[in-house]
Amino acid sequence: MENQNGKHKILMVSDFFYPNFGGVENHIYYLSQCLLKLGHKVVVMTHAYGKRSGVRYMTNGLKVYYIPWKPFLMQCTLPTFCGTFPIIRTILIREKISLVHGHQAFSTLCHEALIHARTMGYKVVFTDHSLYGFADVGSIHMNKVLQFTLADVSQAICVSHTSKENTVLRSGLPPEKVFAIPNAVDTPMFKPASERLKNDQIVIVVISRLVYRKGADLLVEIIPEVCREYSNVRFVIGGDGPKRVRLEEMREKHSLQDRVEMLGAVPHAQVRSVLISGHIFLNCSLTEAFCIAILEAASCGLLTVSTSVGGVPEVLPDDMIVLAEPDPGDVVQAIRKAITVLPKIDPQVMHLRMKNLYSWHDVAKRTETVYDRAMECSDQSLMERLSRYLSCGAWAGKLFCLVMIVEYLFWCLLKVLQPAEDIEEVPDVSFTSSSA
Amino acid sequence: METDLREGYPVVSMQRKWRKVAYGGMQPGFDDNHTDDSFLEDMVTNANVVQRDLFKVMQDSVSISQYLCIVALVVLVWNNTLESAIECHSLLLLDVFLLCSGFLIVILTAEAEMISPGLVLSYAINIFFFITGLYALSPIYHTLTRSISSDSIWVLTALLLTFHLFLHDYTGCTVRAPGSGKNPTLRSNISLNTSIIASVLIASRLPSRHHVFAIVWFSLQVFLFAPLVTYCIKRYSFQLHLWVSVKLMVVSLVLIYRLNLFLFGLLLAILVFVTLVCPYWLIRIQKYKFEINGPWDEAKLCFDITD
Repeated sequence: MENQNGKHKILMVSDFFYPNFGGVENHIYYLSQCLLKLGHKVVVMTHAYGKRSGVRYMTNGLKVYYIPWKPFLMQCTLPTFCGTFPIIRTILIREKISLVHGHQAFSTLCHEALIHARTMGYKVVFTDHSLYGFADVGSIHMNKVLQFTLADVSQAICVSHTSKENTVLRSGLPPEKVFAIPNAVDTPMFKPASERLKNDQIVIVVISRLVYRKGADLLVEIIPEVCREYSNVRFVIGGDGPKRVRLEEMREKHSLQDRVEMLGAVPHAQVRSVLISGHIFLNCSLTEAFCIAILEAASCGLLTVSTSVGGVPEVLPDDMIVLAEPDPGDVVQAIRKAITVLPKIDPQVMHLRMKNLYSWHDVAKRTETVYDRAMECSDQSLMERLSRYLSCGAWAGKLFCLVMIVEYLFWCLLKVLQPAEDIEEVPDVSFTSSSA
Repeated sequence: METDLREGYPVVSMQRKWRKVAYGGMQPGFDDNHTDDSFLEDMVTNANVVQRDLFKVMQDSVSISQYLCIVALVVLVWNNTLESAIECHSLLLLDVFLLCSGFLIVILTAEAEMISPGLVLSYAINIFFFITGLYALSPIYHTLTRSISSDSIWVLTALLLTFHLFLHDYTGCTVRAPGSGKNPTLRSNISLNTSIIASVLIASRLPSRHHVFAIVWFSLQVFLFAPLVTYCIKRYSFQLHLWVSVKLMVVSLVLIYRLNLFLFGLLLAILVFVTLVCPYWLIRIQKYKFEINGPWDEAKLCFDITD
């Protein structure tokens, strides 16, 4: 597990990866690509998607293990405490991994991998991508599980400062252990249109899943108001979900069929072409840790109007975004302000600014610093680690200690049944050309 | 000299103030894990917590004790009917008396604009149909559980009544009161169903059809309308509500004492627990309450979603 010349061998673990598209999936992919360019070795592990199971290679030799576990609920695998231990151990030894990086608190595979990696003595880093509450039963359970996993993590990363506050409260980690490193956007892919759009008809673009969390109900209240007040405003709505019916009903009720266009689900490759057809991007989410959709819109040169929730106020400078409270009247007011500001916006200038404000290479460099810090953490024996788990709670602490002891015994059993010498190690192959 | 950081060109002249922003890369002079003094300054704790007063909580717990006594009285009537200590005629008289007095209380305590002769007439017609339907169905109830042993019936009834008491909605009323805006919840519907099943099970053990009719009418009347009547009394005057509850508790304790000593002890213990021990316990553990709110909370919509 020695790293030569400061380069790490990283295993990224999550339930969420390609062929799914989403915030976490894109984050893992782009971060891995930039880390590969920096000279590290990156391997990704996720569960099987349909028939896609086994080992696959992606761009630049990114190796992905689709382990033969099927997802059972909301894209996550069934949590079995020791079920994934043999295969994770095999992967860790085969690929000569030095560090495990798990993503997303909701991913059961991530939690399991982190626990197994800690039992075997590897350093672990965890990235949290979402905000959670404290009051309902689901959140309480989730937070306890997170407290268990993070009791013994080396370092943690959050995607915004609000997310860092939320994670520190939920897991009880000391704030110095949590790094706030934001997501970024692939600016070469999201370029504005070569010809600037005419301003006589203003097009407002909405691309999101049409669910309660993303504020689809706010949208239903806002669209008739805005259409009534401005005769030259059109809406383009991309995305699908349970609230689509409500939007269609609103369209029928106010006879807005020619002013509101519903595109249905937009594949990721076509998001850019939908964005560049508009002037303003509207985001009505009720909760967001960090909103990548806003970055994509800003990179395409659109002015953003968004609800001021979670980490959204931190994402863009004040002249590229108009914030509003999650109240229909306030959002309509913000749209009014955006329409008056619109003539001063130059999409190309905005795109160039975005290139300087956000870049995946910068994120990768900052993540590398986190990895270096993680590797400097001292190795701990089982007894020292158990004392950390005991502090999790009066009953929970003892339960967690019991679980870790069973894990340790299971590891000893695996060492006997399948000794490390019998596992064939993968030779290091470089896929990038030396002139890169 | 300070150039605008928003332009994206990092400046390394003097120690800048840390800003809570995510753009622009790493803030110069600060690590990514820098924890500013403004960390968690937007957190609000225990914003919605109500300070409780012991005496008021004890007064509120009287609703629960009152309902427990009503259920105890119903069980008493069942027991006496099963032992043939009550005649069929007296039971029917009891039913009519309860119906009329309940009706009277609801009309007297309701607000003036809610009650109109048309409404009262429609209630009366509904009740008439209800009773006729019960009378027509009583032969079916009579032979319903012939093949089941008595022990199973007693155990089932006890279990169902326990469920009923646990799931009962003690704040509202089972059926929609005139002038009340809230609909009954799913839990209160389930509790009502369990009590109806229990009444039917008991009724099926009785000797004749007329007994069955009288008992089913009695039980259904109490379980469906007693919460409504007590809700109307409470809404009219809290003093009257307390006075009625205390009288009910005394009456039920006396009658159960005459029936069985063990049950009397049990009822007394439960009433003491609910009225005295639970309020004190609730107030003692209030100090552990820790409610956290902050900018990470999901926004609440200020309007109702009408489909």
